[in-house]
Amino acid sequence: MRALVFLSALLLAGCAVQQPKPDLSAFNAAKPRSILVVPAANKSLDVDAPNYLLTTLTVPLAEKGYYVFPVHTAKTVLEQEGFYDGEQVQKQAPESLARLFGADAVLFVTINRWDAQYAVFATTVTVDFDYRLVYKDGTEIWKANKKMQYSPQQQNSGSPLANLIAAAVTAAIERAKPNYLPLAQMANVQVIAVDPTAIPNGPYRPLN
Amino acid sequence: MRSIFAVLFAAALTGCAAKGGLYNWGGYDGMLYGAYKDPTTVAANMQKLEAHIGKLEQGKQKVPPGLYADLGTMQLQAGDREKAQMNFRKERESWPESATLMDALINNGVMPKTKEGKS
Repeated sequence: MRALVFLSALLLAGCAVQQPKPDLSAFNAAKPRSILVVPAANKSLDVDAPNYLLTTLTVPLAEKGYYVFPVHTAKTVLEQEGFYDGEQVQKQAPESLARLFGADAVLFVTINRWDAQYAVFATTVTVDFDYRLVYKDGTEIWKANKKMQYSPQQQNSGSPLANLIAAAVTAAIERAKPNYLPLAQMANVQVIAVDPTAIPNGPYRPLN
Repeated sequence: MRSIFAVLFAAALTGCAAKGGLYNWGGYDGMLYGAYKDPTTVAANMQKLEAHIGKLEQGKQKVPPGLYADLGTMQLQAGDREKAQMNFRKERESWPESATLMDALINNGVMPKTKEGKS
Protein backbone atom coordinates (compact mmCIF):
# COMPACT_ATOMS: atom_id res chain seq x y z
CA MET A 1 0.00 0.00 0.00
CA ARG A 2 2.76 2.35 1.00
CA ALA A 3 4.40 1.75 -2.31
CA LEU A 4 1.24 2.62 -4.16
CA VAL A 5 0.91 5.87 -2.28
CA PHE A 6 4.55 6.59 -2.99
CA LEU A 7 4.04 5.83 -6.66
CA SER A 8 1.02 8.04 -7.16
CA ALA A 9 2.51 10.86 -5.10
CA LEU A 10 5.67 10.82 -7.15
CA LEU A 11 3.83 10.65 -10.44
CA LEU A 12 1.51 13.48 -9.53
CA ALA A 13 4.37 15.61 -8.28
CA GLY A 14 6.45 14.75 -11.31
CA CYS A 15 3.84 15.73 -13.83
CA ALA A 16 2.79 18.87 -12.03
CA VAL A 17 6.20 20.39 -11.39
CA GLN A 18 6.94 23.35 -13.61
CA GLN A 19 10.55 24.14 -14.28
CA PRO A 20 12.10 26.59 -16.70
CA LYS A 21 12.69 25.00 -20.05
CA PRO A 22 16.40 24.88 -20.82
CA ASP A 23 17.86 26.26 -24.01
CA LEU A 24 18.44 23.21 -26.17
CA SER A 25 19.86 24.92 -29.25
CA ALA A 26 23.44 23.84 -28.47
CA PHE A 27 22.20 20.30 -27.82
CA ASN A 28 20.28 20.19 -31.07
CA ALA A 29 23.26 21.56 -32.98
CA ALA A 30 25.61 18.99 -31.45
CA LYS A 31 23.29 15.99 -31.98
CA PRO A 32 25.27 13.60 -29.75
CA ARG A 33 24.81 9.86 -30.34
CA SER A 34 26.67 8.60 -27.31
CA ILE A 35 26.95 9.69 -23.69
CA LEU A 36 29.70 8.85 -21.21
CA VAL A 37 28.50 8.89 -17.60
CA VAL A 38 31.39 9.48 -15.22
CA PRO A 39 31.31 8.97 -11.44
CA ALA A 40 29.53 11.82 -9.65
CA ALA A 41 31.11 14.46 -7.45
CA ASN A 42 29.74 13.99 -3.95
CA LYS A 43 28.73 16.81 -1.63
CA SER A 44 26.61 14.53 0.53
CA LEU A 45 27.91 12.73 3.59
CA ASP A 46 27.09 9.28 2.20
CA VAL A 47 30.30 7.89 0.69
CA ASP A 48 28.39 5.19 -1.20
CA ALA A 49 26.10 7.64 -2.97
CA PRO A 50 28.22 8.06 -6.16
CA ASN A 51 28.39 4.30 -6.79
CA TYR A 52 24.68 3.88 -6.23
CA LEU A 53 23.80 6.88 -8.39
CA LEU A 54 25.98 5.52 -11.19
CA THR A 55 23.67 2.50 -11.52
CA THR A 56 20.60 4.66 -12.09
CA LEU A 57 21.61 6.80 -15.09
CA THR A 58 22.09 4.27 -17.89
CA VAL A 59 18.48 3.19 -18.23
CA PRO A 60 16.80 6.60 -18.63
CA LEU A 61 19.51 7.88 -21.02
CA ALA A 62 19.48 4.74 -23.16
CA GLU A 63 15.68 4.72 -23.21
CA LYS A 64 15.86 8.27 -24.59
CA GLY A 65 17.73 6.77 -27.53
CA TYR A 66 21.42 7.31 -26.75
CA TYR A 67 24.28 4.88 -26.64
CA VAL A 68 25.39 5.00 -23.02
CA PHE A 69 28.91 3.83 -22.27
CA PRO A 70 29.07 0.89 -19.84
CA VAL A 71 29.20 2.65 -16.48
CA HIS A 72 31.01 -0.08 -14.59
CA THR A 73 33.61 -0.40 -17.35
CA ALA A 74 34.12 3.37 -17.53
CA LYS A 75 34.50 3.58 -13.76
CA THR A 76 37.05 0.76 -13.84
CA VAL A 77 39.03 2.40 -16.64
CA LEU A 78 39.11 5.67 -14.72
CA GLU A 79 40.21 3.91 -11.54
CA GLN A 80 43.08 2.31 -13.43
CA GLU A 81 44.09 5.83 -14.35
CA GLY A 82 44.12 6.75 -10.70
CA PHE A 83 40.78 8.55 -10.58
CA TYR A 84 38.96 7.09 -7.64
CA ASP A 85 36.42 9.79 -7.04
CA GLY A 86 34.13 12.01 -9.00
CA GLU A 87 35.82 15.24 -7.90
CA GLN A 88 39.07 14.15 -9.54
CA VAL A 89 37.33 12.98 -12.70
CA GLN A 90 35.40 16.22 -12.99
CA LYS A 91 38.62 18.23 -12.92
CA GLN A 92 39.63 16.57 -16.17
CA ALA A 93 38.90 18.46 -19.36
CA PRO A 94 35.67 17.04 -20.84
CA GLU A 95 37.43 17.02 -24.23
CA SER A 96 40.09 14.61 -22.92
CA LEU A 97 37.55 12.31 -21.34
CA ALA A 98 35.44 12.28 -24.49
CA ARG A 99 38.49 11.53 -26.64
CA LEU A 100 39.72 8.75 -24.37
CA PHE A 101 36.42 6.90 -24.57
CA GLY A 102 35.35 8.00 -28.04
CA ALA A 103 32.23 9.63 -26.57
CA ASP A 104 30.18 12.41 -28.15
CA ALA A 105 29.22 13.90 -24.79
CA VAL A 106 30.09 13.50 -21.12
CA LEU A 107 27.53 13.68 -18.30
CA PHE A 108 28.78 15.16 -15.03
CA VAL A 109 26.56 14.87 -11.99
CA THR A 110 27.06 16.49 -8.60
CA ILE A 111 25.24 14.98 -5.64
CA ASN A 112 24.10 17.88 -3.45
CA ARG A 113 21.96 15.82 -1.12
CA TRP A 114 21.47 12.13 -0.41
CA ASP A 115 20.19 11.97 3.11
CA ALA A 116 17.44 10.98 5.49
CA GLN A 117 16.12 13.31 8.13
CA TYR A 118 14.73 11.50 11.10
CA ALA A 119 11.79 13.03 12.91
CA VAL A 120 9.78 11.42 15.66
CA PHE A 121 7.33 9.53 13.52
CA ALA A 122 8.38 9.88 9.93
CA THR A 123 11.56 10.05 7.96
CA THR A 124 12.08 12.32 4.99
CA VAL A 125 14.48 11.02 2.37
CA THR A 126 15.99 13.61 0.01
CA VAL A 127 18.11 13.45 -3.11
CA ASP A 128 19.31 16.52 -5.00
CA PHE A 129 21.46 16.42 -8.13
CA ASP A 130 23.06 18.91 -10.53
CA TYR A 131 23.48 17.60 -14.07
CA ARG A 132 25.78 18.97 -16.77
CA LEU A 133 26.18 17.46 -20.22
CA VAL A 134 29.25 18.62 -22.16
CA TYR A 135 29.85 17.98 -25.86
CA LYS A 136 33.21 16.59 -26.96
CA ASP A 137 34.36 20.04 -28.13
CA GLY A 138 33.88 21.39 -24.60
CA THR A 139 30.53 23.11 -25.17
CA GLU A 140 27.98 22.70 -22.39
CA ILE A 141 24.82 21.45 -24.10
CA TRP A 142 22.46 20.75 -21.19
CA LYS A 143 22.21 21.67 -17.56
CA ALA A 144 19.58 20.82 -14.96
CA ASN A 145 18.91 20.34 -11.27
CA LYS A 146 16.53 17.86 -9.71
CA LYS A 147 15.53 17.49 -6.09
CA MET A 148 13.15 14.83 -4.87
CA GLN A 149 11.85 14.13 -1.44
CA TYR A 150 9.87 11.30 -0.06
CA SER A 151 8.17 11.20 3.27
CA PRO A 152 5.62 8.53 4.06
CA GLN A 153 2.08 9.75 3.62
CA GLN A 154 0.18 10.04 6.86
CA GLN A 155 -3.01 8.19 6.20
CA ASN A 156 -5.87 9.26 8.35
CA SER A 157 -7.81 6.25 9.55
CA GLY A 158 -10.10 8.38 11.69
CA SER A 159 -8.63 6.87 14.84
CA PRO A 160 -5.83 8.87 16.52
CA LEU A 161 -4.31 5.74 18.03
CA ALA A 162 -4.36 3.83 14.74
CA ASN A 163 -2.76 6.81 13.01
CA LEU A 164 -0.01 6.92 15.58
CA ILE A 165 0.72 3.23 15.25
CA ALA A 166 0.75 3.39 11.47
CA ALA A 167 3.18 6.29 11.53
CA ALA A 168 5.44 4.52 14.02
CA VAL A 169 5.54 1.40 11.87
CA THR A 170 6.43 3.40 8.78
CA ALA A 171 9.14 5.29 10.65
CA ALA A 172 10.66 2.04 11.92
CA ILE A 173 10.87 0.66 8.41
CA GLU A 174 12.42 3.81 7.00
CA ARG A 175 14.81 4.18 9.89
CA ALA A 176 16.10 0.65 9.56
CA LYS A 177 16.89 0.96 5.91
CA PRO A 178 16.20 4.16 4.05
CA ASN A 179 16.24 3.22 0.42
CA TYR A 180 17.47 6.01 -1.82
CA LEU A 181 17.55 4.08 -5.03
CA PRO A 182 13.93 4.45 -6.20
CA LEU A 183 14.10 8.15 -5.42
CA ALA A 184 17.33 8.57 -7.38
CA GLN A 185 15.88 6.56 -10.29
CA MET A 186 12.78 8.71 -10.28
CA ALA A 187 14.78 11.94 -10.17
CA ASN A 188 16.82 10.83 -13.19
CA VAL A 189 13.86 9.63 -15.22
CA GLN A 190 11.97 12.84 -14.60
CA VAL A 191 14.81 15.26 -15.28
CA ILE A 192 15.88 13.39 -18.43
CA ALA A 193 12.58 12.28 -19.92
CA VAL A 194 9.55 13.85 -18.26
CA ASP A 195 10.06 17.36 -16.89
CA PRO A 196 10.44 20.46 -19.08
CA THR A 197 14.18 19.85 -18.64
CA ALA A 198 13.91 16.66 -20.74
CA ILE A 199 16.61 16.14 -23.34
CA PRO A 200 15.72 15.60 -27.01
CA ASN A 201 15.42 12.02 -28.25
CA GLY A 202 18.59 10.33 -29.42
CA PRO A 203 19.24 8.35 -32.61
CA TYR A 204 17.83 5.07 -31.30
CA ARG A 205 14.48 6.68 -30.48
CA PRO A 206 13.82 8.65 -33.62
CA LEU A 207 10.23 9.82 -33.06
CA ASN A 208 10.12 13.01 -31.04
CA MET B 1 10.57 -4.62 -3.60
CA ARG B 2 12.31 -5.08 -6.94
CA SER B 3 8.99 -5.36 -8.74
CA ILE B 4 7.75 -2.17 -7.12
CA PHE B 5 10.76 -0.28 -8.48
CA ALA B 6 10.12 -1.75 -11.88
CA VAL B 7 6.50 -0.67 -11.83
CA LEU B 8 7.39 2.77 -10.55
CA PHE B 9 10.02 3.13 -13.16
CA ALA B 10 7.84 1.94 -16.01
CA ALA B 11 5.05 4.20 -14.82
CA ALA B 12 7.35 7.19 -14.77
CA LEU B 13 8.58 6.47 -18.28
CA THR B 14 5.18 5.75 -19.71
CA GLY B 15 2.83 7.67 -17.42
CA CYS B 16 3.78 11.16 -18.44
CA ALA B 17 5.82 10.62 -21.55
CA ALA B 18 3.58 7.89 -22.99
CA LYS B 19 6.40 6.04 -24.67
CA GLY B 20 7.22 2.36 -24.53
CA GLY B 21 10.59 1.01 -23.46
CA LEU B 22 13.25 0.29 -26.07
CA TYR B 23 15.01 -2.51 -24.22
CA ASN B 24 14.59 -5.41 -21.85
CA TRP B 25 17.05 -4.55 -19.08
CA GLY B 26 16.36 -7.56 -16.90
CA GLY B 27 17.34 -5.69 -13.74
CA TYR B 28 20.82 -4.67 -14.92
CA ASP B 29 20.79 -1.56 -12.70
CA GLY B 30 19.79 -3.65 -9.70
CA MET B 31 22.62 -6.12 -10.43
CA LEU B 32 25.22 -3.35 -10.47
CA TYR B 33 23.71 -1.81 -7.35
CA GLY B 34 23.81 -5.19 -5.61
CA ALA B 35 27.44 -5.72 -6.54
CA TYR B 36 28.42 -2.24 -5.27
CA LYS B 37 26.36 -2.51 -2.10
CA ASP B 38 27.63 -5.94 -1.12
CA PRO B 39 30.87 -7.00 -2.83
CA THR B 40 30.31 -10.61 -1.77
CA THR B 41 27.49 -10.70 -4.35
CA VAL B 42 29.65 -9.70 -7.33
CA ALA B 43 29.92 -13.26 -8.68
CA ALA B 44 26.20 -13.92 -8.26
CA ASN B 45 25.29 -10.66 -9.97
CA MET B 46 27.73 -11.37 -12.78
CA GLN B 47 26.00 -14.71 -13.36
CA LYS B 48 22.60 -13.03 -13.36
CA LEU B 49 23.79 -10.57 -16.01
CA GLU B 50 25.26 -13.38 -18.10
CA ALA B 51 22.00 -15.32 -17.85
CA HIS B 52 19.92 -12.30 -18.84
CA ILE B 53 22.10 -11.61 -21.89
CA GLY B 54 21.83 -15.29 -22.84
CA LYS B 55 18.07 -15.06 -22.66
CA LEU B 56 17.99 -11.95 -24.87
CA GLU B 57 20.26 -13.60 -27.43
CA GLN B 58 18.11 -16.71 -27.53
CA GLY B 59 15.00 -14.60 -28.02
CA LYS B 60 16.79 -12.55 -30.72
CA GLN B 61 16.20 -9.39 -28.66
CA LYS B 62 18.59 -6.45 -28.81
CA VAL B 63 21.00 -6.44 -25.89
CA PRO B 64 20.83 -2.93 -24.34
CA PRO B 65 23.84 -0.56 -24.48
CA GLY B 66 26.68 -1.44 -22.13
CA LEU B 67 25.52 -4.86 -20.91
CA TYR B 68 28.04 -6.93 -22.88
CA ALA B 69 30.87 -4.61 -21.90
CA ASP B 70 30.03 -4.44 -18.21
CA LEU B 71 29.73 -8.23 -18.14
CA GLY B 72 33.12 -8.36 -19.88
CA THR B 73 34.66 -6.04 -17.29
CA MET B 74 33.29 -8.17 -14.45
CA GLN B 75 34.71 -11.26 -16.15
CA LEU B 76 38.07 -9.56 -16.60
CA GLN B 77 38.06 -8.65 -12.92
CA ALA B 78 37.25 -12.29 -12.14
CA GLY B 79 40.24 -13.36 -14.25
CA ASP B 80 38.39 -14.74 -17.26
CA ARG B 81 40.07 -12.87 -20.11
CA GLU B 82 38.65 -15.01 -22.90
CA LYS B 83 35.03 -14.45 -22.01
CA ALA B 84 35.79 -10.79 -21.35
CA GLN B 85 37.27 -10.33 -24.83
CA MET B 86 34.31 -12.11 -26.40
CA ASN B 87 31.89 -9.75 -24.69
CA PHE B 88 33.92 -6.64 -25.60
CA ARG B 89 33.71 -7.82 -29.23
CA LYS B 90 29.97 -8.30 -28.96
CA GLU B 91 29.53 -4.81 -27.51
CA ARG B 92 31.53 -3.40 -30.40
CA GLU B 93 29.47 -5.28 -33.00
CA SER B 94 26.17 -4.30 -31.40
CA TRP B 95 27.06 -0.66 -30.78
CA PRO B 96 29.50 1.05 -33.18
CA GLU B 97 29.65 4.06 -30.80
CA SER B 98 31.63 1.86 -28.41
CA ALA B 99 34.43 1.13 -30.92
CA THR B 100 37.18 3.35 -29.45
CA LEU B 101 36.80 1.98 -25.93
CA MET B 102 36.21 -1.62 -26.99
CA ASP B 103 39.23 -1.61 -29.34
CA ALA B 104 41.40 -0.41 -26.48
CA LEU B 105 40.05 -3.13 -24.22
CA ILE B 106 40.30 -5.87 -26.85
CA ASN B 107 43.72 -4.96 -28.24
CA ASN B 108 45.55 -4.18 -25.07
CA GLY B 109 43.76 -6.37 -22.61
CA VAL B 110 44.50 -3.37 -20.45
CA MET B 111 42.73 -0.11 -20.03
CA PRO B 112 43.67 2.87 -22.21
CA LYS B 113 45.74 5.77 -20.93
CA THR B 114 44.53 9.28 -20.18
CA LYS B 115 47.94 10.75 -19.65
CA GLU B 116 47.75 13.01 -22.66
CA GLY B 117 46.56 15.58 -20.12
CA LYS B 118 44.19 18.46 -20.41
CA SER B 119 43.69 20.10 -23.75
